[in-house]
Amino acid sequence: MLYPFAFFRYEFGDSLILSASVLNPQSSVLSPEWSSVLSPQSSVLSPMKTKLLALLLVCLTFAGMACQSGPKADESGKIKVGIVFDIGGKDDKSFNAAANEGVKRAKKDLPIVLRDVEPGEPTSLEPSMRAFAERGYDLIIGVGFAQAPIMEQVAKDYPNLKFAIIDGVIELPNVASLVFREHEGCFLVGMIAARTSKTGKVGFVGGMDIPLIRKFAKGYEEGAHYIDPKIEVKENFVGYTDAAWNNPGKGKELAKAQIDAGADVVFQAAGNSGLGVFDAAQDTGKLAIGCDSNQNWVKPGRVLTSMVKRVDTAVYSIVKETVERKFSGGIHSYGLQNDGIAYALDSYNEKLIPKTILDEVETARTKIIKGEIKVTDAMAK
Amino acid sequence: MADIPVFSVLESTLRLSTPLLLAALGGLYSERSGVINMALEGIMLAGAFTAAAVTVKTGSPWIGLIAAILAGVAVAGIHAFCCIKCRADQVVVGTAINILMLGVPALLSGAMFESTGSTPSVDQSQQLPNLPILIAFAAVPVTHYILYKTSFGLRLRAVGETPQAADTAGVNVLFMRYAGVLLSGVLAALAGLYLSIGQGSLYTRNMTSGRGYIALAALIFGNWVPTRVLLACLLFGFADAVQIRLQGTTLGGATIPTQFIQMVPYVVTMFVLAGFVGKAHPPQALGMPYMKEQR
Repeated sequence: MLYPFAFFRYEFGDSLILSASVLNPQSSVLSPEWSSVLSPQSSVLSPMKTKLLALLLVCLTFAGMACQSGPKADESGKIKVGIVFDIGGKDDKSFNAAANEGVKRAKKDLPIVLRDVEPGEPTSLEPSMRAFAERGYDLIIGVGFAQAPIMEQVAKDYPNLKFAIIDGVIELPNVASLVFREHEGCFLVGMIAARTSKTGKVGFVGGMDIPLIRKFAKGYEEGAHYIDPKIEVKENFVGYTDAAWNNPGKGKELAKAQIDAGADVVFQAAGNSGLGVFDAAQDTGKLAIGCDSNQNWVKPGRVLTSMVKRVDTAVYSIVKETVERKFSGGIHSYGLQNDGIAYALDSYNEKLIPKTILDEVETARTKIIKGEIKVTDAMAK
Repeated sequence: MADIPVFSVLESTLRLSTPLLLAALGGLYSERSGVINMALEGIMLAGAFTAAAVTVKTGSPWIGLIAAILAGVAVAGIHAFCCIKCRADQVVVGTAINILMLGVPALLSGAMFESTGSTPSVDQSQQLPNLPILIAFAAVPVTHYILYKTSFGLRLRAVGETPQAADTAGVNVLFMRYAGVLLSGVLAALAGLYLSIGQGSLYTRNMTSGRGYIALAALIFGNWVPTRVLLACLLFGFADAVQIRLQGTTLGGATIPTQFIQMVPYVVTMFVLAGFVGKAHPPQALGMPYMKEQR
């Protein structure tokens, strides 16, 4: 027999977790009547029974949704913020984790109601976003470039709601596009990698092969070549589908292949797959560079530095602006000059980077801000 | 192309084939008994999560290993119950389990570690990097022996080919099928364990990224015969290992696009399937629920 299954939204802490649940409409012992309806052997389903079954499914689905609809008493009058994470999920220790950090801080400081969704697969991005819009959330944040085309549609349908997209540009008055000049930060970590490398070879492991990650790679390469034009930069990508963000096994193999070929510092921009790069660094005693969040703590002593993209600051600011009714659409750009992009330096890696290298990097940082060093933005047309 | 180190490619092939081989051999036990096991992906995820979570909590990978096997058997048990007892459509149940296993580890991980995306890392000393590889490759001759030299194997194959005849001969068809599916749970859970605490050091959501399905492909490709399944898995692993090292290669001054390089394993599969394997011979009763006294 065929179990009907439906999507439920469970409330779990502050999260709506979308997950599929298998519903068993009857107990384990099948009554003869039910098994005749449901077993594959019965070739004809009577229309009446089919309708009954459909009705049952619909009822159960709505029952599930009803469990968490309706505002709680203390939530009235507050600004409602909904955030839709990327496929990596909010605990990827990287990009999504940074966004999560931002909204959590906003929730602590500001009078807002916060709900989040972690879509398990690309097809649930749009329903998740629409679910927030239908309930009239004041600000809906989309994490990641993949949501840009979806948000463009939803934002057109709900012109009175406010939206924010990270890593994407949508030209609508009610959408704030939060973009980062990652190439500037990648340039700096590329410099650190090149100065630290003893073999004259450094590696880069990207997640999904998309223009954004190519932009990381280009900045990193230019930074390394700024130190030594002869240094070899090996570039690999985990894949070209969403699954590339969640494949640490493949990430580790790629890093190992680069290390086998002589690389001794590997920069990862690969979401969860990048965690495999750290494993490879630990196994071989080489160094890795983290990405998006400060990941120096993940493998203490093996993470040279992290290219920090302050998604948290960007998210926090947009929530704050919404609460203070100062929300503005258009492009909000974050780079070295406003500390939206930085390289991480803390107790985990202070012994790994000598002061002479730091001075050199700081000089370059100032020059980039002043425009004296031009880093190529591989995404700019 | 000349600078591809042979030894590291071979090593890498072993590591990349191992999860496929374990899962495919698991699928073999299930499918030889007549039950399609689409749930391999879900069972691997359950095994991967349980292994990492239990190892983090107890500090012992051995307890993690036992727990992962139990979790794999439990999930395979759901599949077996729905497919064998309830006679549900096997593909639909398998798919449902795969979707379910995207959510369940996230929920449990959130409750246990306050992180729905991944478990904390296990210490390097608590990883089992080599054991699953040994088990995987030892499982090939063992499976061959069980399948073709023991009465258990004969019965398993019989219920997958002609369950009515087996039943007439006094074989308990349902029991054999349960055994087949549960064994697949054990092996697929080990495949998951290898991904989380063997090759890697933690569980991250959906970390199998389709390996369960590739294992199924290897099973079909290997014509449900253990030694051929081994060759299929090695071929997939090898193509992947070479692909990894070919990325960024230049041909006549121009870099070959990554997409083309990453197509290599799939193109190889298509050519081999089209030209060399010949007709696939699945177990005759594959996918058909068994009901006594029914034709």
